[in-house]
Amino acid sequence: MIEVASLAKRFGSVDAVRRVSFTAADGRVTGLLGPNGAGKTTTLRMISTLLAPTAGVVSVDGIDAGREPLAVRARVGALSDARGLYARLTARENIAYYGELRGMARPRLAESIGRLASLLEFESLLDRRTEGFSQGERMKVAIARALVHDPPNVILDEPTNGLDVMTTRSLREAVRRLREAGKCVLFSSHVMQEVAALCDEIVIVAHGVVSAAGTPAAIREAAGCEDLEEAFVRLTGPADAVAQGGSR
Amino acid sequence: MIGRVLTVFLKEIRDALRDRRTALMVLVASVVTGPLTLVLVAQFVSGLEERAATLKVRMSGAEHAPALVNFLRRADVEIEKAPADYAARVKDGSLDAVVVVPRDFHERWLAHDDARVELVYDDSRTESSPAIRQTERLLAAFNRETAYLRLMARGVSPSLNESVKVERINAATPRQKGAVLLFLIPMFAILAPLLGGMTLAIDATAGERERGSLEPLLANPVPTAVFAVGKWLAAWTSATVVAAVTLAGFLAAAVLYAERKLPALLQFGVPEFTRFVAIVVPLAALTSAAQMLISTYGRSYREAQTYVSYLATAVSFIPLVVMFSGAREAAWQSFVPVLGQLMALQRVLRGDGLSSSDAFVPAAVALTLAVAAVAAVARLLRDERIVFGRS
Repeated sequence: MIEVASLAKRFGSVDAVRRVSFTAADGRVTGLLGPNGAGKTTTLRMISTLLAPTAGVVSVDGIDAGREPLAVRARVGALSDARGLYARLTARENIAYYGELRGMARPRLAESIGRLASLLEFESLLDRRTEGFSQGERMKVAIARALVHDPPNVILDEPTNGLDVMTTRSLREAVRRLREAGKCVLFSSHVMQEVAALCDEIVIVAHGVVSAAGTPAAIREAAGCEDLEEAFVRLTGPADAVAQGGSR
Repeated sequence: MIGRVLTVFLKEIRDALRDRRTALMVLVASVVTGPLTLVLVAQFVSGLEERAATLKVRMSGAEHAPALVNFLRRADVEIEKAPADYAARVKDGSLDAVVVVPRDFHERWLAHDDARVELVYDDSRTESSPAIRQTERLLAAFNRETAYLRLMARGVSPSLNESVKVERINAATPRQKGAVLLFLIPMFAILAPLLGGMTLAIDATAGERERGSLEPLLANPVPTAVFAVGKWLAAWTSATVVAAVTLAGFLAAAVLYAERKLPALLQFGVPEFTRFVAIVVPLAALTSAAQMLISTYGRSYREAQTYVSYLATAVSFIPLVVMFSGAREAAWQSFVPVLGQLMALQRVLRGDGLSSSDAFVPAAVALTLAVAAVAAVARLLRDERIVFGRS
């Protein structure tokens, strides 16, 4: 379970995140929805302890991320905005490196890599070097790498960015399976349909502030319109205001 | 924690071994350049020694100077008749020096009447100078002997003619002569770890930033010091291996040349090799740590490469300063990185003893600074501007 309370982050004179609070529960898929530059990535980076918040508290499974960042990292698997692989290593070696860094024993690691490759449908790529991989193939390896230790909390930052339809579908399927396994899945997107298709809970962020949160039905009700996309546009404000909302 | 450091170390080594740049660099920088240079220098120097070693004088018109020929034969000098086109041959370098005796030499010599010989040479050719000097010395000796005999015949003591007697004693042992030329080996010994650690140090820091693999890497529940140490050990290993291979190349070249009776020039045997490696390994720790620290500021491989090349320039400047300023050895030099190593390496080559302060002070300084640099890298990896500053 991920709990975020009054989170804020300032870069110089820019308020990237001003006041973000929400809870992502276990066994649910929570979508962080907002236009580009709304502060989604910065929020996720603070949750995965890579950025220190200017104010506010992040806690993961009851552990304070500010006090015990390593313990929080151990309970989180994050697909970050940057998802570079080592081109000269095979897919398997890329994933195994992270498993070893997390102290996994060899048999468990091998079993985990096999399971993730079958979940994300890339078994045939496992022993190829990643230098020639397509964007979708690289994404699958990066996700497997983030989930190799079977974390109870999964953070995915814009996982479907730049993927084709088939890859997106297999990714959605994987997210549903993670939910079935009782994980807390938190993912960000700026694509309305993506969130609508997957999420149990939606948190709409604009200009570094949460403007609405709840189930898709509750969001529609709050915005006073039937169409979720229309609700999104109303809740995130006009485009020129969005542009001023900070680049992070 | 040691297990995690090992994981990072092994990953970086594996990654580097699959990098074609690494293989090419090891091959070109270490196996080819160093020993090839040495072989060329050795060839040049051995040429000098060979020319001077066998006493040989080339003469044109030897038949006009029986007394000179007699003197040279007694001095065990081989006399060779110069070809008719000697002037051209001297010019093109195939002859070093030719003594030309004019037709009337013997009569004039007997008559004490301004007897002359011509010494034809081209002093723009440095490789000819030992042969020229030798011929000059032989002619001067002939002069002295003639004067000596003539003074004796007149009942005058010959020592009157020579109020000061100069005896040449060259204090440089053969090994020391070699060390002057082998300034090159210390130079390569210092530059090899810089070359050897470079690719890995850059790839493991700026390379991670450029690929976008640094952020996910740091999301692992591992302190940044583990990454800094693991990556540093890998770069250090690479630097050490390349330096050792380079020096082994010199060792092989020296062994090859020792069989051609040139041990004096190339005193670089297994004991010297071992000491060189012992001096270079701590230096490699420092150079690779410094390269990593500098590269961490680079947002891309190329940018970091530029920064690192400044370091290489600065380091290669130190031996040059020492060579041209003629700086004398002093105790404080041991405390200056690179300079301390250079002095120790030169002492080894000169065959001077290596005191414990010569050996340990530079090593301690290098390792201390290396640890400080690695600690700085670990701190930078926690810096938001470094981790996320990709553009």
